Amino acid sequence: MSPELVVALLAATVQAGTPILFATLGEIISERAGVLNLGVEGCMALASFAGFLVCHQTGSAWLGLAAGGCAGALLAGLHGLVCQVFLGNQVVSGLALTIFGVGLCNFLGTPYVGQATVGFQQFAVPALSELPLLGAVFFRQDALVYLSYLTPVAVWFLLWRTSLGLGLRAAGEMPAAAAAAGLNPLRLRFLGVLLGGFLCGLGGAYLSLAHTHLWTTSLSGGRGWVAVALVIFAFWRPGRAVAGAYLFGGIMAFQLRLQASGTNVPSSLLLMLPYVLTVLVLVLSAARARSAHGRGSAAPAALGVNIEPEG
Amino acid sequence: MAVQHQQHLQHDPDTGPVDVLPLVRLAGVTKRFGQVLANDGISLSIMPGRIKALLGENGAGKSTLMAMLAGRFQPDEGHIEVAGGRVRFDSSRQAIAAGIGMVYQHFMLVEDMSVAENVLLGQEGGFFLNPARMRAVVGELAGRFGLGIDPAARVGDLSMGERQRVEILKLLHRKSRVLIFDEPTAVLTPGETEALFDALRSMSAQGKAIVFISHKLEEVLSVADEIAVLRRGRVEGEFLASEVSSPADLARRMVGRDVLLDVRREAVEHGPVVLSVRDLSMRSVGGALLDNVGFDLRQGEILAVVGVGGNGQQPLVETLCGLTPPESGQVELLGESWSRFYAGNRWKGALAWIPEDRAGLATCRGLNLTDNLLLTTRQGFAHGQWLERGRATSTTGDIVREHNVQPGHVEAQAWQLSGGNLQKFVLGREMFREPRLLVAEQPTQGLDVAATEAVWQRLLDARKTAGVLLVTGDLSEALLLSDRILVMYRGRVMGLFPASDAVQVERIGALMAGLSG
Repeated sequence: MSPELVVALLAATVQAGTPILFATLGEIISERAGVLNLGVEGCMALASFAGFLVCHQTGSAWLGLAAGGCAGALLAGLHGLVCQVFLGNQVVSGLALTIFGVGLCNFLGTPYVGQATVGFQQFAVPALSELPLLGAVFFRQDALVYLSYLTPVAVWFLLWRTSLGLGLRAAGEMPAAAAAAGLNPLRLRFLGVLLGGFLCGLGGAYLSLAHTHLWTTSLSGGRGWVAVALVIFAFWRPGRAVAGAYLFGGIMAFQLRLQASGTNVPSSLLLMLPYVLTVLVLVLSAARARSAHGRGSAAPAALGVNIEPEG
Repeated sequence: MAVQHQQHLQHDPDTGPVDVLPLVRLAGVTKRFGQVLANDGISLSIMPGRIKALLGENGAGKSTLMAMLAGRFQPDEGHIEVAGGRVRFDSSRQAIAAGIGMVYQHFMLVEDMSVAENVLLGQEGGFFLNPARMRAVVGELAGRFGLGIDPAARVGDLSMGERQRVEILKLLHRKSRVLIFDEPTAVLTPGETEALFDALRSMSAQGKAIVFISHKLEEVLSVADEIAVLRRGRVEGEFLASEVSSPADLARRMVGRDVLLDVRREAVEHGPVVLSVRDLSMRSVGGALLDNVGFDLRQGEILAVVGVGGNGQQPLVETLCGLTPPESGQVELLGESWSRFYAGNRWKGALAWIPEDRAGLATCRGLNLTDNLLLTTRQGFAHGQWLERGRATSTTGDIVREHNVQPGHVEAQAWQLSGGNLQKFVLGREMFREPRLLVAEQPTQGLDVAATEAVWQRLLDARKTAGVLLVTGDLSEALLLSDRILVMYRGRVMGLFPASDAVQVERIGALMAGLSG
């Protein structure tokens, strides 16, 4: 492989990893607050359409992005309503959310299939883009990719350096302790679900606004599920989520290049690669979580457990 | 009656000046859960600088009362006053703000967070956190009240006593003036208990009002200034600790009748050997769990296995009760080898087990009492593939009545029963199987005096038809009930002797510590 090809592959890795990174970070916030949201795929799908539609109508990529985030938060809010208020089963509600979100965006998006939108364009960051290798890989991207560099730090800061984050984590580890401390764990969980849904929405909006620049069905293409798996790989920590997202971005970009290069390997097999990796990664992280070094890599203690009202 | 007592307390020279107002006053507080009257017109005064013990059996309404003070429930009738003003707590936050803090029986701690994070949860004093400053604040507070703890330690790594200190620190940080402790010694070692009592006295000396909920008579007498006795949701008596002459006196006031602190223990003729253990050994990565254990148990006797927890009692019981096969050595139950006995799986006339974990292992919390009866007796109610539920229900009703299980209906779910009532039910269920070998593991742990007495009497009665293996951490229980005593240390039998052997009994403490010389 020539150096140019390597740089191009790495740049494509970052682009392919970005939507997964947003979604993984969103799911980390949600699960840290104790709510398992299996509807990430649905949130991303609906957000990709909402982002496309608003950008298509208004011509503003940023408005589109906001619309995508809000669509993700709205759908996740439905999940919050079902699980936190009506005490529905989180797994069932999340699965329903995915089917609903994917179906809705395909239904609403049918008239727009194939239509293009401006979305976000790549621009070089002054000075930084001149760095050897790094500049070409990381700093000749679009605004959303730059935003995704800051998001993991922001999520880490929120969860570990603010009182809100402390409360969110307490609501996910032991809601009763949060309640005894005078906090409202239900409200905190709801907030975590909304924030998480918003980030998943950003990831979805990235797909239509920065990745394809046009609307087509099933844009999310299973990335939401990869994000759910990556949360476990990341041990619910934003830093490891970055590594995981780029690992998957890499394999996605790699199989695309391989297909484009006209290899003899059937494309169906190549398309499976990311999911084979998902299974592999889950097995490895489960093994590690069980090992002696595994402390601190366990799921939040009250993850998936609804808060039952007293009395 | 309560009012009279209040005046009496205020005129007592020990209580301090007459014009000292109660920090918290409960006035005729009543709380119902459906049909159950949990608290019935309770009036109490909680004074600064005093330790008030709230003594009562399981299910007497102690926890409900304190949950109302902590803002988790609202009273149906009556009201609460704080510093003379009437208050209504709609949330625990309001109770905390009013200076009322609670140390729950099950700690309300986030195990995956540090001590400092737990203490300051909800009280961070700003949106942004500064971990170094948080640790300093908590470290300073712990130092001031003499509670040794590392603010950076992860709570999940701490002992029970240390976790309790974290709970106390939470209250102290909130400047709570009333500190309520719900059965605080249940999870502590004797040394930790003493340290807790010292802390209670020092906090009380600094003007805090302490409420100490317990059913352990000796503890109440050793730490409390005032004692209020709760029975069936009512205050049955309120007096100064100095007015109580002995634990027996206090027990009488608590259960309203004389307690058999010495149960009737008539000799029963010994029958055939029902359990025979020879050279039983079991190994794990860390070393021997069981090391050449051997003993016989005859029908008509109670053999008490004593020792500090974790010295092989658990693997021994699990082997005898069929959970793990013996690794090496022989176990004979009712004359059959272990594998033959458990291949047969007879439900009646064989072995019954009263596990230590009565709410987790012995029963299913979400099932009603009939289903819980069927857990171990279903073969007795089976007709081919069909279950005779009607007969099971009426049998459950018989057990509930005979053993005085409250609430007394078979549709109650296991989680609705207090620990004592659940244990009485489990015991009734297992005796219904007419065992010839009964293994009872910590059968009276956490039970009140009346329930303890009932359980003891049942165990003694069981001798008529069975041999009883009593695994207990309570030495007085072992001495009271057993014919012979087996002391375990690191999986080994340190001593096996009649309970009447005064010389050996004197040495039990040393044997439990592994000193055989």
